[in-house]
Amino acid sequence: MPNRPRSVSAPAVGIPGNPLPGPYPVGDYAAALQRRLRDFAKVQLIGELVNLRIARARAYFELRDSGGAVPCSAWLSDWEQMSARAGELADGMQVVVAGGCDYYQGSSSSSPSFSFSVTDLRIAGEGDLLARIERLRKALAAEGLLERQKELALPCLPKTIGVVCSESGKARDDVIAGLARRRWSGRIVWAFAPVQDRYAAPAIAAALQDLAASQAVDLAIVARGGGSLADLLCFCDETLCRTVAMLRIPVLASVGHHTDRTLLDDVAAVSCSTPTHAAEVAVPIHCGEARSQLAAAAQRLRADSKKALLSRARSLTLLCKAPSEHVRRQRSLLHQQLREARAAGRRRIALERSLNLRRLTAIASKADGALHHNRHKRPAELRRLALALEAHDPQRTLRRGYALVQTGDGKPVTDAEQARRAREVVLRFADSSVEAKVRTDR
Amino acid sequence: MSENGKLSYEEAAARVEAILKRLDSGEASLSETLHLVREGKELIERCASELEAVSGALEELRLDDLVARLEGEAK
Repeated sequence: MPNRPRSVSAPAVGIPGNPLPGPYPVGDYAAALQRRLRDFAKVQLIGELVNLRIARARAYFELRDSGGAVPCSAWLSDWEQMSARAGELADGMQVVVAGGCDYYQGSSSSSPSFSFSVTDLRIAGEGDLLARIERLRKALAAEGLLERQKELALPCLPKTIGVVCSESGKARDDVIAGLARRRWSGRIVWAFAPVQDRYAAPAIAAALQDLAASQAVDLAIVARGGGSLADLLCFCDETLCRTVAMLRIPVLASVGHHTDRTLLDDVAAVSCSTPTHAAEVAVPIHCGEARSQLAAAAQRLRADSKKALLSRARSLTLLCKAPSEHVRRQRSLLHQQLREARAAGRRRIALERSLNLRRLTAIASKADGALHHNRHKRPAELRRLALALEAHDPQRTLRRGYALVQTGDGKPVTDAEQARRAREVVLRFADSSVEAKVRTDR
Repeated sequence: MSENGKLSYEEAAARVEAILKRLDSGEASLSETLHLVREGKELIERCASELEAVSGALEELRLDDLVARLEGEAK
């Protein structure tokens, strides 16, 4: 014992005959023992964690293997950080602890105790941890829970975005910066929660459920600035993942980097590399540009409608003009034809008049010739004909003493047989006629 | 408008683009043009209204505040 306990002012009497020094006050001895134990080398131990219990200020457990056991303890704040990094710790797990011997010397009213004071801890073999996560991932996939969020439609222009993050972390500022980059100024509902201790998973799940319960929230972002896989183990919590899978609103996970993929990244609608990225995914359009595009579209719409109406109006105007134009052309054509017809008529009349004049002249000429002929030649001819006719006149023969025999109806009787058949005849003399009967008895 | 009322912002914006393309083609009849222009104006007004809702000042609420506000509105 390097530090000998101090002597008391009134030394007690030891055990007679016993060669050992003392007696010393036990408090002095306990303090010396504490100093001595704390001087032991700090080491790492490996063993099975058993009999874990959380007290008000410290966590207590035993570390055992087949050869023995050491009581261990850790301050609660240290324990929470360690379990957050390592994941949920429970009896039976193989763990490595780092620390050293400690001794609580007790007091007049409290019992002393020895423990290995643990300052760091990890689950023995990260491969086991990863294997456990992988088993859970396969189980969630088999139940279709990795797809449910991906089937939800991401709103193009959310009005209210819920964000689950640490109140003091950088992720909060990154989300705001990402939204500002999109010129988005809607409503953010902050649901602050621890993001790396053993209370993180249930707190995050409860926050997401509360956000989804509000009909006003369009989607949620779970943001954390990244960290080692041990830091992110709360995002591999089975209850949290199942909760997210069943939410009505899409959840964007931005809790780590691609090298540290958590189960929440698999379950969420979208896994984003950073909180800024998550904000940009939450609002996929640039609101400022969208406003400009909308204004341009409205302008084009106005121009198109004006153009369409004007072109139709022009067409209608042309169509309106077409009949009157047609009538005007036809009227002009008719006037032209009328003028031509009149001119042709006048020409025809003049021609006919000329022809008729000529014909008239010719007729007159012929008439004059005929008149001349009639005046000078026809009387002599007439007289000649009269004379010739007179020469053949039977009256002239009758005057020379001949008589003409006729039937009662005036037909000439030229032979005896006719006279016999007639029985009665008329004898026509130059001065008059007499009736006579024909005798046939001789 | 009743059918377009169900469209998301993105779908409404895509529909406006389709309307503009149809109008630009010059193949739409006069009555179709008037119908498309009316529909396009309605969609643009709706999109503008949605943009307006996220164009003011950023509003930040804690979840508890939102819950309290919603409960207050429910009462």
